Amino acid sequence: MLRWLFKLGLVLTVILAVGLIYLDAQVRSKFEGKRWAVPAKVYARPLELYPGQNLSRDELRQELKGLNYRFVRSADQPGAVEWASSRARIHTRGFNFPDGEEPARNMLLTFSGSTLSDIRDAEGRRLPLVRLEPMLIGGIYPKSNEDRDLIKLEEAPPHLAQALVAVEDRRFYEHWGVSFKGIARAMWVNMRAGRFVQGGSTLTQQLIKNFYLTSDRTLSRKLLELPMAMLLELHYDKDEILEAYLNEVYLGQSGNRAIHGFGLASQYYFARPVQELELDQVALLAGMVKGPSWYDPRRHPERALERRNLVLKMLRDQGQISQAEYDDARQRTLGVVKQRSLHKGAFPAYLDLVKRKLREEYRDEDLSTEGLRVFTALDPLVQTRAEAALETSIQGLEKRYGQKAQGLEASMVVTDPQTGEVLALIGGRETRYQGFNRALDALRPIGSLVKPAVYLAALEKGYTLNTLLEDEPFSVKLPDGSLWQPQNFDHRSHGLVPLHRSLALSYNQSTARLGMEVGLERVIDMLERLGAERELKAYPSLLLGAQSLSPLELASIYQTIAANGFRMPLRVIRRVTDAEGEELSRYPFTLKQQVKPEVVHLLQYALQEAGREGTARSAYSVLPQNLNLAGKTGTSNDQRDSWFAGFTGDRLAVVWLGRDDNSQLPFTGSGGALRVWTEFMRREEPEPFIATRPAGVEYVWIDETTGLRSDERCEGSRLLPFLMGTAPEEKVDCGLDNPVRRSLDWFRNWFN
Amino acid sequence: MKKVYLMVGLALVVTGCAGPNPYVYKAPVEDRSRTPQSSEPGTVVPVDPVPGVKVTPIGGAPVIRAQREEEDKPVQIQAPVEQVVSQPQSPAVIALLETARQDSSSGNLRTAQNRLERALRIAPRDPEVYIQLADVQRRQGQFLQAEQVALKGVSVAAGQKNPLRRLWSLIADIRQEAGNAAGAAEARQKAAAY
Repeated sequence: MLRWLFKLGLVLTVILAVGLIYLDAQVRSKFEGKRWAVPAKVYARPLELYPGQNLSRDELRQELKGLNYRFVRSADQPGAVEWASSRARIHTRGFNFPDGEEPARNMLLTFSGSTLSDIRDAEGRRLPLVRLEPMLIGGIYPKSNEDRDLIKLEEAPPHLAQALVAVEDRRFYEHWGVSFKGIARAMWVNMRAGRFVQGGSTLTQQLIKNFYLTSDRTLSRKLLELPMAMLLELHYDKDEILEAYLNEVYLGQSGNRAIHGFGLASQYYFARPVQELELDQVALLAGMVKGPSWYDPRRHPERALERRNLVLKMLRDQGQISQAEYDDARQRTLGVVKQRSLHKGAFPAYLDLVKRKLREEYRDEDLSTEGLRVFTALDPLVQTRAEAALETSIQGLEKRYGQKAQGLEASMVVTDPQTGEVLALIGGRETRYQGFNRALDALRPIGSLVKPAVYLAALEKGYTLNTLLEDEPFSVKLPDGSLWQPQNFDHRSHGLVPLHRSLALSYNQSTARLGMEVGLERVIDMLERLGAERELKAYPSLLLGAQSLSPLELASIYQTIAANGFRMPLRVIRRVTDAEGEELSRYPFTLKQQVKPEVVHLLQYALQEAGREGTARSAYSVLPQNLNLAGKTGTSNDQRDSWFAGFTGDRLAVVWLGRDDNSQLPFTGSGGALRVWTEFMRREEPEPFIATRPAGVEYVWIDETTGLRSDERCEGSRLLPFLMGTAPEEKVDCGLDNPVRRSLDWFRNWFN
Repeated sequence: MKKVYLMVGLALVVTGCAGPNPYVYKAPVEDRSRTPQSSEPGTVVPVDPVPGVKVTPIGGAPVIRAQREEEDKPVQIQAPVEQVVSQPQSPAVIALLETARQDSSSGNLRTAQNRLERALRIAPRDPEVYIQLADVQRRQGQFLQAEQVALKGVSVAAGQKNPLRRLWSLIADIRQEAGNAAGAAEARQKAAAY
């Protein structure tokens, strides 16, 4: 009998030991491995600040607001700004960029007009260049919709750990994971209440519960929880356990996203990093652990306030804070920010593009769990101006055209032509709505936006800007037997027109004739070299823009024209790093010369003429004369699409207006899209476009009507660029070489 | 030689007088229409005679124009900018170029490249940025990109002798290293022209 009992005991011990070893392995593997699925974070470009920079105070203010800086009287901690009339003292937070740490700085910025004139650090030394931290514009979430922002224990504000310990587990630093006193007390409470009301869990047990077990309140779970908590305590020290707790704990719900950890909760409730929380805010969050929805400060402010003050009182009673600190914190309001959908919502179209690019290289699972950091080129300031310009202009069009302008849709792409970076993207009129992304997915006939490719192909083949084209009725028999007979917009033919003028005024008949003469293959080849990637159909109607493309594809084509013939793949992402900041992929500045800069220079002339004297001249009624904008209007057949694509020195924008049901518009490219473009550039105040003369180009005065060589002093002359040696030789005569005419001239002047 | 001038001048005057009215000029047009080429299947066959591009013939009647009045300024679309007045580099760009130089001489080419791309965003018209960026890419063995960046630099530096000379000799070095001796020689020649 005794032997039998002994054997049984042995067997039980073995089973228990095996069980413990199994539990131990479980505890350790989860704690040492990747503990949480952390969504990828997507950042906007960081704002660079340097003396001499063109940056208005309003822009800086907007950027700081976007970064949730607090505008205060005295900026004595990170994330705070003192704002004065021509100065700002900014206490930055610092940021660990993939290419180096940007330290937190206390700096003084001085403005003169809309120029940032001086930056000095706290010691008064001049700083040549600093970057603010980049704005977080979104995340890529796992299916569980768990979101968190990991923090380290040493980053936690003072009192956070104390407050947690005070309210949740007073003996945390003494027990071994389990508090028998606590359990006894809980049992007493439960017995008195006659039901299960109190858990008596230690922080360690709570962590175990959330981390490893289901949330049912059963006895078996409780029995598993105890040994696991003790095992956890055996392997890890209190600080490690507390840090895990800070990041694991559930603190609220934003739509279908669960807010986990104090890092994210701090952003969610107070819109600031956890390091910047104040005592009263720390107390509120610590108090909420007990019941995040019961004490939700947005839905139940009284309850939350009462809870917060209880936590403060406990801290004071335990001597963690002074009476003065207590009094000060207690009389504060909750200070919770208005609920915004955190991390998302502001830039859905751009984020959509970022995700598509990421998916070319990364698996969905990695994107949503590995805590990757994605640095993009999005410029929130440019995006805001683009959205505002679109809204104002469309309202103007609706006012002007009434019913006929109902149901307008729009999209827009803004890039920096010098770097090829996409700065802003609008996918539809509802810019906050994550729906059909027209900038990427709406394929619409591009109308006259195709013409620069036709003319560029011609110029490359040996035509000059001065070549006279025939704008006359014209028809082409198509393979199916039908006739293609392009019409001009004004239903008139204009006879002989110089090539530059034909483009500037967007004549169809002369363009179609030119395109047929140059050859469809050459035009298609040119479009492909400039940046078109989809298959282009070799129909004659391509010459007048029957081909459909997306605004983003057009931006890529015009980008090459703006960059003197160098094609740069449009860049959205600059760099991707892992959670530790180690670089995973970079998208460096790459370019490839596709068209000779000399030839592109000629086209740039004609596109500027479109702005000065052609179909886009209305832009100059608003924009400064020295801007030298270059661009092209486009209207598709039957006026279903209104386009404008154009650039200045440092901004390129493609605008599309139209309707999803493809119905007719009451305006053309210049009546619609150009207005949006102009309004955007007016707000943007970009650099003027400066076309430097390439070595192989000469400027020659030309007589406009005949195309002969002329002189600055002769009437009807215009200065045109030519590839070296292609300018006409023969001259008009306005008496410059003839002394008789010159004497006649003064004679005439005498009589006038 | 003088005789030739005299003859030409005389001829012009004569033809000028022969014209109906020197001040009402109508450009004579040359018909360059041609028969359609044999068409491949699926290509377009124009029904009309192919549209000719009208070219003013060389020679012919002189065209007389009045002189411009003082206040009658010609339109200026794109003034031939001979040389962008190279703006003094901002302290920010100087700092980035300097640290990039240090990075690259201590072998941290990727860091240098990051800094230069930052500089490029701030000063995309500064040839110096392209020179350094191309050189860093050359040292990384990215000859194709290095050459393209340097060529973009050439297009940015139009009219500025010193940067142009340095850019072309850098292009020569890049081509040399990439095994393109002929291209290198051509680039060297261009460098020598500045």
